[in-house]
Amino acid sequence: MKKLAIILLVIALFIAGCAQDDKTPANNKDGQDIKSGSNLDKADNKEDEKDKEDPDNNNNQTEYVFETAGITIAVNGELGPILEKLGEPLEYFEAPSCAFQGMEKIYTYNSFEITSYELDGKDCVLAIVLLDDTVATKEGIYLYASVDDLIKVYGDNYKESFGLYEYEEGISRLSFFVEDNKVTSIEYTLVTEE
Amino acid sequence: MDKKRIILNIVVVCLILFSLYILQNLLMPKYVSAIVEGSLIEEYYNEKADYNHDIIFIGDCEVYESFSPISLWKNYGITSYIRGSAQQLIWQSYYLLEETLKYETPEIVVFNVLAMQYNEPQKEAYNRLTLDGMRMSASKIRAVKASMMEDERLIDYIFPILRYHSRWNELTSEDFKYVFKKDKLFHNGYYMRVDVKPVTSIPRGRKLANYQFGDTAYLYLDKITKLCKDNGIELVLVKVPSIYPVWYDQWEQQIEDYASKNDLLYINFLELIDEVGIDYSKDTYDAGLHMNLTGAEKLSLYLGDVLTKTYDLTDKRTNKEYQEIWQEKIDFYEQMKAQQYYELEKYGYLKSFGAKAPED
Repeated sequence: MKKLAIILLVIALFIAGCAQDDKTPANNKDGQDIKSGSNLDKADNKEDEKDKEDPDNNNNQTEYVFETAGITIAVNGELGPILEKLGEPLEYFEAPSCAFQGMEKIYTYNSFEITSYELDGKDCVLAIVLLDDTVATKEGIYLYASVDDLIKVYGDNYKESFGLYEYEEGISRLSFFVEDNKVTSIEYTLVTEE
Repeated sequence: MDKKRIILNIVVVCLILFSLYILQNLLMPKYVSAIVEGSLIEEYYNEKADYNHDIIFIGDCEVYESFSPISLWKNYGITSYIRGSAQQLIWQSYYLLEETLKYETPEIVVFNVLAMQYNEPQKEAYNRLTLDGMRMSASKIRAVKASMMEDERLIDYIFPILRYHSRWNELTSEDFKYVFKKDKLFHNGYYMRVDVKPVTSIPRGRKLANYQFGDTAYLYLDKITKLCKDNGIELVLVKVPSIYPVWYDQWEQQIEDYASKNDLLYINFLELIDEVGIDYSKDTYDAGLHMNLTGAEKLSLYLGDVLTKTYDLTDKRTNKEYQEIWQEKIDFYEQMKAQQYYELEKYGYLKSFGAKAPED
């Protein structure tokens, strides 16, 4: 019986020792990255820390933010208060995740589009896309600006691939697609990859 | 050591292993009343078929919500099974097909090409929905190795208890009820939804830096093509008419080129909306991402027509053995259909089929 007890103890310790984290795919109904090292988790934590330091994080300069009509929109920020200020979108589209309960929502306004994702039951900003040249980045780059102007404003610390210039600050990524030396797409996104 | 003692030790070890097996079954998610898509892959093994299906479908949600094997049987006498799962990546499709060929050799394999957009593993949660349902085999091990995220481990898939042991404090009556056997939820891999949510807007496609499908995606598409050719199976590529995620023209061109180069039939249903008769105000249950029952039946009718005209498929509806097997499937299909329409009428949504209550 002693041997049996030892075997059981070893198995129990083995199983317990293999613990990774408490979130399993089954209880993680939104299907987000479920590992403790997930970037969305990290993004959330960074956001929490930021909130502690500066409750009005709209003025935080450590990330790229989009400003329109005095409203500041930051990636990973809670969407509810932003939508209240922006009013009714021109178009709304929602894309539920396959199988899981998360919902990607796209709000289209006159000159920009906001995509949200669900995090712990709240809608947060996943991306902002500028649609025409009546709006610009906070630093002043419009659609159809030249690549020289782009680099003059944002510097040369970018990653470039297939004409896509990417700048990162904290959890935000600001991407410019350049064709024929002109910026043809501007997008703010949440950094979610390692 | 005497004989009695050896026998006793063997019995003890067997008891321990059996207990662990039960414990593992208990702790694993059941995917019966929520996230039912997690049950799709394993339901195939309960198929009472000692015959080859004419068609095997592989791919992501776009296959298991767009084609109805029951409709293909009723209208053309075609036998089929959908081995689809949520966000099934192309290497998972390949290994699922490899595994399926150990059980049967279909005439045709239909692969939905949306999965070409992914060139690397995406999320553990989705990996689990496909891989946990696969029976242990060399194909499963290879599928797991190809699918794992950086911080996942092969051993957690071989012994899922290592991954799910922390579920002990969230077990529900459902976990106990389905320890050994689960209810049948699908119709030869088809996930039925009769509810309707019309398309109201179509999102614009975001610009991508690079529209070229990745090397890994192409590698596995080549492997699927070769596996089919080696086994005398016709491979058919399809793109179902979902309006989102956006199917870019550049992606379309690559698939057209691939199909042409490899002499494959490719059907892009996005270009056949009128011919098929898809009505986006009636034939989708989530505003255009997936087809509902009426949409799936229309697509099946069109696909069956194309396939029977293109390939040498035998209508099996006059075969008594098949008739009996498929009548049972039709009965279950009609019963679920009636139940769903009833719930829709009574509650306004599919209360017991995993649908979300409409917001006020």
